[in-house]
Amino acid sequence: MGLLAAGGAVALGLCLPRVFEGSMPQVPGEDVLHLVLGDARQELSMALLAKADEYFHGGVNDVACGHGMTSVEGAVPDHDPAHGESCPEHAHAHEAVRWRDPWAWINGRVHVQEHRHLCNDQATELLPWIWAACRASPQNAQAYQTGAYVLARMTGHPEQGVRLLEEGHRRNPEDAGIVFSLGEMWLTHLHDAARAESWFAAVLPLCRPAEGAVGENDRLLWVRALFYLGYLAKQRGDLARARACLAEAEAVFPEHASVKDLRRLLQQ
Amino acid sequence: MKMCGRQTGALVRVALLDLYRRKDLIVVWLLSLVLLLPLAFFSPFGISGAGRYLNEIALLLVWLFSAVIGVGVAARLFPAEFESRTIFPLLAKPVTRGRIVLGKYLGALAASVSALTVFYLAYGVLCGLRQSVWFPVVLFQAFLLHIGFLIVVTALAMLGSLMMTPSANLTLCGLLIVGMLVFGQRLPSLIAAQPYPGKAFLMLVHALGPHVEFFDLRQRVIHGWSRVGWDVCAVVLLYAIGYAAACLGLAGWLFCRKKV
Repeated sequence: MGLLAAGGAVALGLCLPRVFEGSMPQVPGEDVLHLVLGDARQELSMALLAKADEYFHGGVNDVACGHGMTSVEGAVPDHDPAHGESCPEHAHAHEAVRWRDPWAWINGRVHVQEHRHLCNDQATELLPWIWAACRASPQNAQAYQTGAYVLARMTGHPEQGVRLLEEGHRRNPEDAGIVFSLGEMWLTHLHDAARAESWFAAVLPLCRPAEGAVGENDRLLWVRALFYLGYLAKQRGDLARARACLAEAEAVFPEHASVKDLRRLLQQ
Repeated sequence: MKMCGRQTGALVRVALLDLYRRKDLIVVWLLSLVLLLPLAFFSPFGISGAGRYLNEIALLLVWLFSAVIGVGVAARLFPAEFESRTIFPLLAKPVTRGRIVLGKYLGALAASVSALTVFYLAYGVLCGLRQSVWFPVVLFQAFLLHIGFLIVVTALAMLGSLMMTPSANLTLCGLLIVGMLVFGQRLPSLIAAQPYPGKAFLMLVHALGPHVEFFDLRQRVIHGWSRVGWDVCAVVLLYAIGYAAACLGLAGWLFCRKKV
């Protein structure tokens, strides 16, 4: 009886999408997680990525730090851990807090108030959270890019980084950032200029910058892709193509550092 | 004095036996194994070597289960006695009501601490086997302060059990513990950002609420930070004892006035 009911449920599940094709709220190919969680998946994924960032800062969150995981080369102890103890101003402030708000003073002593970054040889600790962030929401392009950065730069596994970005590209074919990262990964880590060039060329049709500040990111990506395309064309002696790239970049963002660099490169 | 100790000891023994008779610990152990074993063999992107995530999840489970055991044991001691009317033979014995509260509290605390010791021993062995770091000082401090946490929450749950229904007590204790663990550290900045009357309410919570976040050393244990100063540990434990004494004093007063 139970088997019959289960069979009936499966048959109904298979029939319904065919019978009501086009009029169901779900998009074909979406999994159960997406149906149940919806946009909450993106939030969950961002929370997991924030956890990875917290690990990068030694488990300390609410850090007023300009360095993200993807913008620092290894461990940079930019704050002297003993500063709070040795600096007279800090010591005085701590003493004032101790008597004005003893609970805040205890919290400040129990919970770490220092600032440090994870060393490259410990970067594997970030991977479980990044893996979970990518799985939680395949639409979170930032998770794929951060993951690829950590894999390639911090743990020394660029092949895995490329694989992750390719997976991200499959799931987000319209995301120019992932395509650009693939180009960079092939060029700087795997030293395959031909493949890198094909990825940089693929960035251009995906960049459709809107007017004003909204389109800033797309414009930056476009110019940077053009810089690499011009650079690679110059490397293989195709000066006409390199000049065309420079002209296009000047039209998009004339004051950007990449445009100036490309101009300087072509003048040499 | 000797009689006093014997009476309290008997009450402690009963609470301890109650925990181990209910097989709560076995359920908690099985649940931990089911959650942690697959995670222990997980290697994201085919790269092994990550261990902190496992430590974090293991310690989170230790905190969760110790809170559930501590609050659960303390919250059900009195209601069960009232419900089954076994409180009458207990009150008929030559023992004061204040001593009954103290004995039951110490029993709940002993049961929770015994479970906590098992958890921390298992955690220490797990870390030792995986990372070859055997019982560092900071782990001992984390255990010590975790006992402080249990001192506070068992007293709070016992006080609640004399004021509310068991379900209301468990819900309120759960909300207080989670709320303070999540927001306790940020209360001063939340107070500064709030206008009145929200500010006054938060100030009251900050002044009188159980600051269970004081006892949370997970961050230091997981990420290998240095240990806390022993003076700070002593202050935090004093806070726990003071808070528990206040709760127990109130609980004793309520129990003495209670008509059974």
